Amino acid sequence: MSEILQQLAHCVEFGKIDKISPYPPDLKGQDGADELTKKALDACIKPGDILEQALIPAMAAVGDKFSRKVIYVPQMLMSAKAMSSSMKHLKPYFQSGETKRKGKFIIGTVAGDLHDIGKNLVAMMIEGAGWEIIDLGVDVNTEKFLKAINDNTGAVIGLSALLTTTMENMKKTVEAIRGNFNGLNILVGGAPVTMDYCQKINADFYSPDPQGAVNYLNQL
Amino acid sequence: MTEKTFHFDFRDLKLTVDQIERLLGYGEGESQETISDIVSRLLKEAETICTLKAEYRIFDKISFNDIEKTIEINNTIFNIGKIIYGQIKKSDSAALFICTAGGEIGNSSRRAMKQRDLLEGFIYDVIGSEAVETVADLMQNELEEALSGEGKRITNRFSPGYCGWDVKEQHKLFSLMPENFCDVELTDSALMKPIKSVSGIIGIGEKVKRMPYTCKLCDMKDCIYRRKA
Repeated sequence: MSEILQQLAHCVEFGKIDKISPYPPDLKGQDGADELTKKALDACIKPGDILEQALIPAMAAVGDKFSRKVIYVPQMLMSAKAMSSSMKHLKPYFQSGETKRKGKFIIGTVAGDLHDIGKNLVAMMIEGAGWEIIDLGVDVNTEKFLKAINDNTGAVIGLSALLTTTMENMKKTVEAIRGNFNGLNILVGGAPVTMDYCQKINADFYSPDPQGAVNYLNQL
Repeated sequence: MTEKTFHFDFRDLKLTVDQIERLLGYGEGESQETISDIVSRLLKEAETICTLKAEYRIFDKISFNDIEKTIEINNTIFNIGKIIYGQIKKSDSAALFICTAGGEIGNSSRRAMKQRDLLEGFIYDVIGSEAVETVADLMQNELEEALSGEGKRITNRFSPGYCGWDVKEQHKLFSLMPENFCDVELTDSALMKPIKSVSGIIGIGEKVKRMPYTCKLCDMKDCIYRRKA
C-alpha cells in the first residue's frame, strides 16, 4: 500500500479531518483525510483503491475498537467526519460508475418514530464499509420503504425503532417487504429490539452495535 | 387540583463540560481537548436555543389496586407495573408532570446530522437530554419543598417507557392534562414533541420517600444515565 494511503487510513482511524483540525494532537498541523485524498487522486491512485485500501480498513478498525469499548462514540464520530471529508472527493467517481461500491443499503427509522442518532451511526459505519447508503430519514412509512426497494434492486434493508410502540410498525414494514419482494435481507435495530424480536417478525439480522451490522453485510 | 408552571434559564441547570463528557462515555480525565472544546461551545449555544419549561398537576383523587398493581387517577387506570407500584403505593395523591427543553435543541441536532456532522449532532442530543432531565430535577425539588411545609414527602419520578410501565400509557397521562400542557404534544405512537421532553408521575404522601436514585430498579442496562453504585 502506498504511503499516502497508509497516512489516509491513519487519519480516518484517528479522526484527523483536515489540516486545520487540531485533533488528534499528535497530527496537529499535518494533512488530514481531506488533503490526503486529494493528493492520492492527484497521484493517480484509483478511487476504488482509496476506498478499499484506506477508508474501509480504517473504519473497520474504528468499529472493532468501538465494539471492544476501547473508544467511545465521539471518537467514532470524529473518524466518521474524517471519512466524510475523504468520501466527498470520491463521490463523483461513484456517481459516474467508475468506482463500484459493495452494494446499496436502504435505511430508515420506521413510521411514528423520530429518533435518528442510532440510525445515523449505523448508516455511517456501513458507508465506511463501502456500501452506498440510501437514507430515507425518520418516520418512514411502509410505502416509502417499498418504493425505495423498488427503485434500488437488490438493496439490503435496515429498519430502526427506538420505542416499543413503533416496533410494531417495524413488524408491519417487514411483513409488507416480505409480501412484495423475495429474498431481500432485512436488518433491524434500536434500543428495544432484540434477536428474539428480529426472529419473531421474520427479519434476517439484529445487532446491538453498528459493527455487528457491518460484519453481517461483509458476509453476504 | 393544584397546578404549577416553571420556566428555567439554561444557566439555572449548571450543566458542565465534565458532566456532558461523562454522558458521552468518558471517565474523568479521559476526554480530549477537541471534544471538550466542542462540548463547551455547544453548551454555550444551548443557552440561547433551549426553552426550558416544566408543569405539574396534583391529583388528590387516587386509588391503588394491589392485585392488578394499578393506580387510578381521576377515573383513569394506569398499569404502572410492579416496580413503580411498589415505589408509589403509599401515596395519598400524585403529581403528573411534563417537562421540556423545547424544540430547537433537537432541531440543531438534526441539522448538524444532515450536514454530516454526526459528532455535533450527537452532542446536541446529549445536552438536550441532560437539560430536560435537569429541568425535571429542579421541578421535583420545588415540588418537594412546597409540600414539606404540609408535612408531605414525594417519591422519585417515573415515566412511561421505563421500569415496566408501557410507553403507550403516555396517552392516558396526556388525557389528564389540558391540551398543549407545557407546550408538548403527543403523537399516535406515544412520542412527545418536542422530542427532548419527559413526562411522568410522582407520588405524594406522608409515608413515601424519595431515594437518591432508582437505577437499580430499571431494566435499561445500557442507559447512559445509569449509575453503577
